[in-house]
Amino acid sequence: MRFELGITRNGLIDTRNLMAQAVSSHSSPREFLRQHSDMVDGLVRKAFQKAQSQVSAPSVCLIAVGGYGRAELAPYSDVDLLLLYASSKKEELPPLIEKILYPLWDLGLEVSCSSRSINECLKMAQSDLQIKTGLIDGRYLDGEYEFFRKLYSLLTKKILHRRIQKFAEGLAKDLYLRSQKYEDPAYVLEPNIKEGEGGLRDFQIGRWIIRAKYKTDRWDSILFPDHSRMLDKSLQFLWAVRNQLHLLSGRRQDNLTFELQEKIAPILGFSTGTKGIEEMMRQYHLSTQRISNFVYDILERALHEPSWVKKALFFFQRKKIDKDFGIGYGELHLLDPVTFKRDPSQLMTLFKHCQSYGTNMDFRTEEAVMEALPFIDDRFRHSEKVNQTFLSILRKGERVETLLRKMHELGFLSQYIPEFSEIAGKIHYDLYHVHPVDIHSILAVEELGKLSSGLYLKDYPMLTSLVREIEKPEILFLTTLLHDIGKGRDGDHSAVGEEMIRHIGERMGLSVEDREFIGFLVSHHLFMIQTAFRRDLHDEQVILRFANEVKNLKKLKMLYLLTFADIKAVGPEAWTSWKDTLLMELFLKASHFFEKGAVTGPFLKGDAMVQRLHESLSPEIISEYAEHLPDRYLSCYSPAEISHHIEMARSIEKEPLLVEWEIQKEIQAKVTICTKDRYGLFSKIAGSMFLNRLNILEAQIHTWGNSVALDIFWVEDATQGLKSRLVQFKNDLMEILSGKVSLKDLLSKNKGSQGIKQKVIPRVSGEVKINNHDSDFFTIIEVTGEDRLGILYELTQALTDHGCDIHFARVSTLGNRIVDTFYVQDTWGEKIEGKQNVDHLKQILLNRLTSGEDPPFSGMKTTSSDENIRETPSSS
Amino acid sequence: MKKIEAVVKPFKLDEVKNALTKIGIQGMTVTEVKGFGRQRGHTEVYRGAEYKIDFLPKVKIELITTDEMLTQAIETIERVAKTGKIGDGKIFISPVEEVIRIRTGERGRDAI
Repeated sequence: MRFELGITRNGLIDTRNLMAQAVSSHSSPREFLRQHSDMVDGLVRKAFQKAQSQVSAPSVCLIAVGGYGRAELAPYSDVDLLLLYASSKKEELPPLIEKILYPLWDLGLEVSCSSRSINECLKMAQSDLQIKTGLIDGRYLDGEYEFFRKLYSLLTKKILHRRIQKFAEGLAKDLYLRSQKYEDPAYVLEPNIKEGEGGLRDFQIGRWIIRAKYKTDRWDSILFPDHSRMLDKSLQFLWAVRNQLHLLSGRRQDNLTFELQEKIAPILGFSTGTKGIEEMMRQYHLSTQRISNFVYDILERALHEPSWVKKALFFFQRKKIDKDFGIGYGELHLLDPVTFKRDPSQLMTLFKHCQSYGTNMDFRTEEAVMEALPFIDDRFRHSEKVNQTFLSILRKGERVETLLRKMHELGFLSQYIPEFSEIAGKIHYDLYHVHPVDIHSILAVEELGKLSSGLYLKDYPMLTSLVREIEKPEILFLTTLLHDIGKGRDGDHSAVGEEMIRHIGERMGLSVEDREFIGFLVSHHLFMIQTAFRRDLHDEQVILRFANEVKNLKKLKMLYLLTFADIKAVGPEAWTSWKDTLLMELFLKASHFFEKGAVTGPFLKGDAMVQRLHESLSPEIISEYAEHLPDRYLSCYSPAEISHHIEMARSIEKEPLLVEWEIQKEIQAKVTICTKDRYGLFSKIAGSMFLNRLNILEAQIHTWGNSVALDIFWVEDATQGLKSRLVQFKNDLMEILSGKVSLKDLLSKNKGSQGIKQKVIPRVSGEVKINNHDSDFFTIIEVTGEDRLGILYELTQALTDHGCDIHFARVSTLGNRIVDTFYVQDTWGEKIEGKQNVDHLKQILLNRLTSGEDPPFSGMKTTSSDENIRETPSSS
Repeated sequence: MKKIEAVVKPFKLDEVKNALTKIGIQGMTVTEVKGFGRQRGHTEVYRGAEYKIDFLPKVKIELITTDEMLTQAIETIERVAKTGKIGDGKIFISPVEEVIRIRTGERGRDAI
């Protein structure tokens, strides 16, 4: 039975693979799809004819529908069939269908077959969008040709070219629902090539509408030749990727997972390693962006074609704005099609008008913009009129993100600022950066727009008032749009970007002062992030250093706003309330410094603080403890907190471990732990927290002179079980400290099972930086690496084993990348110095980062300790 | 080959089914089941009297996959069935020795 069609299941797979090699499924994907579809045609016909000879059935017609109907059959795509019959003899069909389908199923083909009469087809096509679109692509295969002819002549006459607007509305709804679903960052990183944004289905929607509205099969006939050529290239690229997806997975796989990205990039001729993947995904994003623009454009035309009634009604409302532009039907249009050729600078005026009149341009004007792109030359880019208009759009601030997006979509932005094309579609092969750089940049501008329009007034009142105080908003918007401009080139993108933006600024005719300013902002756009998220903000020196680098309040405000927009535009999970708190703290401390000329915290220091303690504690207690309290500790807390801590310390005589917590915002908690100091305490705490799935955000570790350990942790747990986890954490820690159980045993029980293959995600290479400049008293260790269960426990354990006392730790997780900072001293309270010592420590930490992998040191990069600490967290 | 048994909230069934079909899972068995886990049922008050509802209605989806498909299938179920609240259910994975398609007698991965 399985050899009925002269080929076996495995034989079919082999034939298909051979065909893929012979016609090169990736260099000429269209040809492969067609040949593959021809081959399947042969099998389907054979099955059909054989079935007809075995079963006596009424005459029928076999039609290929959907993608198979278009003869675009990817290796494992569905083979959709329609069996058309004369209305009467329906009940005789099932045996025939069975005979057709079984042998095809047994070959592993995903065949589905519907059987309908001509009338049913027409009726269903009217009510069901999916059936209608499937039918549009129908192709005659075998059987009664007359049925096919009749169906299609009726379909064309009665359905296809009627009610186009409603058809377009239905498709627009489908598009909207899918875009909602695939908006999730997971789908941006691992896109679905068929259903995702700008995927093959989107393209199909455009094609169907053209078919219905313009009565032509040639979708490219209604576009500019340049445009259609680019679009065709994009389409071919997606096909090439999809063919590989199917062939490699041996099934209908339309998700471009990380694992498959890694495999496909070299096959399609991209360079090896991460770079090749990034290049391939760049092309992917550029292709889908193009397709997306195409389909929205076509939909727009079909949806908003005004009816003749409307045309007549609005005839008198058309008005002229100036000699070149007019407004009609609520849209801006060009009065004379050759305007842009005569005076290209009018292109910028067009966008200005869109802003001033709060309208969009109609699609004919959009076409005219695209057609005029070649006229944008150096003269245009240096033109004072053009540049002033552009800056005035930014200064006005209204709908800036919408206009920039439109400029980008039409290819205008990349012509006007050629540097912008270098970051178009550029992606990072990691889990943190969700959007390509160009989209990220425009989203960042959008975040600023949301701030200034007051949308964030409730959530971020301070940032909202700051953005409104900005004197030159155009500078802020311009910098935000171009902050990552250096990412298109090699090297540290902040430094490269600074050069580039100064150059762009000069071209735009900005003043020397403004150029200086935007250069500073771009070169420092990660500075605030690095300081706030990786340094101890209680440390006066950190604030001083930060403030000295930033220099004045004006720059600080801009930097804060830029930092906010930058992080917010990375993805929905990048901005957390924790980051919000840290950035605000740094901003407030630095602005205090600029206003008062000194770092003034709310807290007192040293003796002054001890004096204040008299208000709440008896003199005996103070005299017992005062000499043991380190200065760093005293400068971190208020008198009330310190008094409370001393009370805690007094009671550990009776109860060896005290754990208190305050839960904030439901998912965060400040945990205060007081106990006798002992060897490896920090890593034991970290291990117990890990066991209970508490994520550590920050740790302040204080060891008093009388060997009391007072540690404050900020932890997070997003699963709503924070309180019960904290209770369990306290119990675990108690048992571990008392020696009843060993942490190692508990941790080993927690290991996941080995049987299941882990999902492939982008790798993160490990890096350790040891810095002795930034603090007078501590060695600052920054560890970057791939996140895994219990990593913090292992790192702190390694530090303890090496004789390092950890005094402060800050932990951030960006996707699957951890960036942990530790402030450490050796056992004698000194910094870790000496090259040998430093290198040894670095090696130990790197080893821990990759432990469990062999060879231990491959692919690792060590940075020398005296290297400048500014770096690009995303470039490795 | 592996067997996945997923116990999920009944209203998530369609979504899970669609998502699994999308990634290329071709067949599954669905059973309406009752049970309780950490959720431990809940107490309902009816006309002044308290009734303990021990067993909560769930659906159990059973499917067999190849080892290569396993990770993606699990990930899909996890993502789709998750509401973040208690009672989202569980996924069990176990090895399968053999699969046979009765009609054709095919065995192993061909029969899945």
